[in-house]
Amino acid sequence: MAAVTAAQPRSSKTESYVDNKRKEDIRQANINAARAVADAVRTSLGPKGMDKMISTANGEVIITNDGATILNKMEVLQPAAKMLVDLSKSQDSAAGDGTTTVVVIAGALLKQCLTLLSNGIHPTVISDSLHKASIKAVDVLTAMAVPLELSDRESLIKSASTSLNSKVVSQYSTLLAPLAVDSVLSVVDPAKPDMVDLRDIKIVKKLGGTVDDTQLVKGLVFDKKASHAAGGPTRMENAKIAVIQFQISPPKTDIEQSIVVSDYTQMDRILKEERNYILGMIKKIKATGCNVLLIQKSILRDAVTDLSLHYLAKAKIMVVKDVEREDIEFITKTLNCLPIANIEHFRVEKLGHADLVEEVSLGDGKIVKVTGIKDMGRTTTVLVRGSNQLVLDEAERSLHDALCVVRCLVSKRFLIAGGGAPEIELSRQLGAWSKVLHGMEGYCVRSFAEALEVVPYTLAENAGLNPIAIVTELRNRHAQGEINAGINVRKGQITNILEENVVQPLLVSTSAISLATECVRMILKIDDIVNV
Amino acid sequence: MTIYASFVGYRMAAECARNALLQRVVDNKENAEKFKSDLMKIAMTTLSSKILSQDKEHFAQLAVDAVMRLKGSTNLEAIQIIKKPGGSLKDSFLDEGFILDKKIGLGQPKRIENAKILVANTAMDTDKVKIYGARVRVDSMSKVAEIEGAEKEKMREKVKKILGHGINCFVNRQLIYNFPEELFADAGILAIEHADFDGIERLALVTGGEIASTFDNPESVKLGHCKLIEEIMIGEDKLIHFSGVEMGQACTIVLRGASHHVLDEAERSLHDALCVLSQTVNDTRVLLGGGWPEMVMAKEVDELARKTPGKKSHAIEAFSRALVAIPTIIADNAGLDSADLVAKLRAEHHKEGCNAGIDVISGSVGDMAELGISEAFKVKQAVLLSATEAAEMILRVDEIITCAPRKREDRM
Repeated sequence: MAAVTAAQPRSSKTESYVDNKRKEDIRQANINAARAVADAVRTSLGPKGMDKMISTANGEVIITNDGATILNKMEVLQPAAKMLVDLSKSQDSAAGDGTTTVVVIAGALLKQCLTLLSNGIHPTVISDSLHKASIKAVDVLTAMAVPLELSDRESLIKSASTSLNSKVVSQYSTLLAPLAVDSVLSVVDPAKPDMVDLRDIKIVKKLGGTVDDTQLVKGLVFDKKASHAAGGPTRMENAKIAVIQFQISPPKTDIEQSIVVSDYTQMDRILKEERNYILGMIKKIKATGCNVLLIQKSILRDAVTDLSLHYLAKAKIMVVKDVEREDIEFITKTLNCLPIANIEHFRVEKLGHADLVEEVSLGDGKIVKVTGIKDMGRTTTVLVRGSNQLVLDEAERSLHDALCVVRCLVSKRFLIAGGGAPEIELSRQLGAWSKVLHGMEGYCVRSFAEALEVVPYTLAENAGLNPIAIVTELRNRHAQGEINAGINVRKGQITNILEENVVQPLLVSTSAISLATECVRMILKIDDIVNV
Repeated sequence: MTIYASFVGYRMAAECARNALLQRVVDNKENAEKFKSDLMKIAMTTLSSKILSQDKEHFAQLAVDAVMRLKGSTNLEAIQIIKKPGGSLKDSFLDEGFILDKKIGLGQPKRIENAKILVANTAMDTDKVKIYGARVRVDSMSKVAEIEGAEKEKMREKVKKILGHGINCFVNRQLIYNFPEELFADAGILAIEHADFDGIERLALVTGGEIASTFDNPESVKLGHCKLIEEIMIGEDKLIHFSGVEMGQACTIVLRGASHHVLDEAERSLHDALCVLSQTVNDTRVLLGGGWPEMVMAKEVDELARKTPGKKSHAIEAFSRALVAIPTIIADNAGLDSADLVAKLRAEHHKEGCNAGIDVISGSVGDMAELGISEAFKVKQAVLLSATEAAEMILRVDEIITCAPRKREDRM
């Protein structure tokens, strides 16, 4: 057994040599895969960034510029690359915008790490230094930030425009940016000024028209027709609206049932009873003065039958059916009413009031608009139009990004300049700081600083400018103290970007840097992939 | 034949190693201050090899606070961990109540004080007869209407019975459909639906209530209690917060992080730390870490080997060498020169009262007591004894018999 145990350390020595080689390979493979993903989205960064068309296996086609969507739809197999996809999603949920930026930064950091690793620096050391660097970076950015008042609508519009500038719908940013700002400002709850729930803003898509026809509706919009089946009214003024969750149809028990008749008179009686039953219900509804019904889609049985629609039309009640259960909460909040689950509970207090409910013809479809709601809840609806489905979807995503940008500003009221200015400034300051650090740390922080330059580099590249010349000029300007100098892609030169109204929320940049660093650190610590 | 000598040798060595540790163990259970700092050190040592290593003070403090609230029970069920993507690891916090990741029903009060909670597991959408193919045969529509009315009445009765318990909060594991939801809203009761199994069990445990399935006997059902229930927002989601619960040990740790991977790994690391700490609260003996216990054991076992006559002394010596593997691996993984460091360590351990171990931050031999690197005695003991047993069991095997795979009839 002495032989056995003596052999043990020796074989472990050779084992560890082979192990190291495998570790290196795995790490390299991971980093390369992640970088490939980052390179794939690089070209969508910035106002001159290009979009990607994604054709999925089931024949669906999507055109988008949003990093999170591209990565989501791309079927990535390599596990480390999947982490980058996750990273983009987190940035989306944390800040809403900057999803492409975060992946590009992560890719650049990984490239620098590869160099550091090949110089023999231990991954844990690199990981620790990156963490320190990212904390310092957040501090530097916060120091550069300009504070903002929510009443300063102009600045809010400027940042929303910057976010929209990199998307397909950038020509409509003069329309969409104020729209986004107004909708967010209208749902801000004064009791909780720091928090905005974006679910309070509903985006309804309707094919037809162009993006120019997008409008903000201070009320509700349903992408459905009013029920025309029996010639019911399609326009109602001074509407009293009831949201019902029960069914106006012949009674049906939960147990399976069947009615057994043995002769003709019984059949006649059944029809009469059915009619009386429904008529009874409708009489009760009419008695409260209700004249608009919103009926929830039911899984248990038919929500309405032709007979009930006929009677409702005769009673001059406008009907909108097939409302989804998930929408009920939004609707009741807007209308400031409660949903009614049973005919017995139908009371006047549960009704909502609106000045006008009408069915409007849009393009080749119809929608139902509810406006002038009394005691309206803090919600709002945006009706998005577009010439084809792809443009419509991309417009919705871009609007969502703009809404998120405004939300970021509500939660953290600071702005910084865009156009690559913060990244170059960070790069300069971190570079200076790295010189005073000891040992490997300084080396790693310097690589972090160099990695950050990828953002202005990519912006210039995508705009067709000479990236090296632009970045060097930028560095020069920053060194001379112009911390707000950035790339103006329209003019193709370096200008004071703050004056050009290209700004972004502080939260987007800080969250991009922290999330990218966390993800890179996790990838660095991986040295083996186990297939189960 | 020689293999048996090695078993005996290993067993003797393990016993000797364990005694060596027992002699040097430190027990601070009288001194609350010192004990708390022991716990902090152990938590930080556990977390330093995980992804949480950057924020280890923050998380060590979280873990220690959570475990101190348990007051000696090892029931980690009372500590709930909720993961919410967004923000960063530093934003994680410990909350003293119980948080349920669900929403409150429509039209119901969002805040209730002095709550009496009924926890239930019952179907509140339809009351179907659970016999397949049961049908009703009637001969007229009005009878059908009557039956429908009867079903609604049945649901109403059920809700009335529930209300008869004198509660102001109702938590159901399954769905609560529209009709009963409205009845609850009318009565001003907070109704929560779809709380999954895990949530229900924890909630019942934490509020001191029983899970009810029938509501005929209000006296026999134990209700849960808490001081305040309200709806809070974390990141983008709304959650329900129960504070001032009966079982004071309960608490919730909310983890925030960049992505699901980070959150999952953070949860696993935190779980490790919580387990270690809860064990230490019971068995309060601590040791230094960083390879120190291994070197101490190695030295004692080596001396035992020298004193033992016969072949088993070779086994004992080998055991001692095996123990030294731990500090060697720690040094290797840190990219340091393990042969050099281990040799230095060994030399240090020949001095009296030495606390030397491997300090990976500075890359040399350091004083573990000063650096605050500690481990629980129970952990080390378990590691030692289980490893020895497992090794012995594997060594005893001399043949592997594989059973033939099951015959597949349909293979061509």
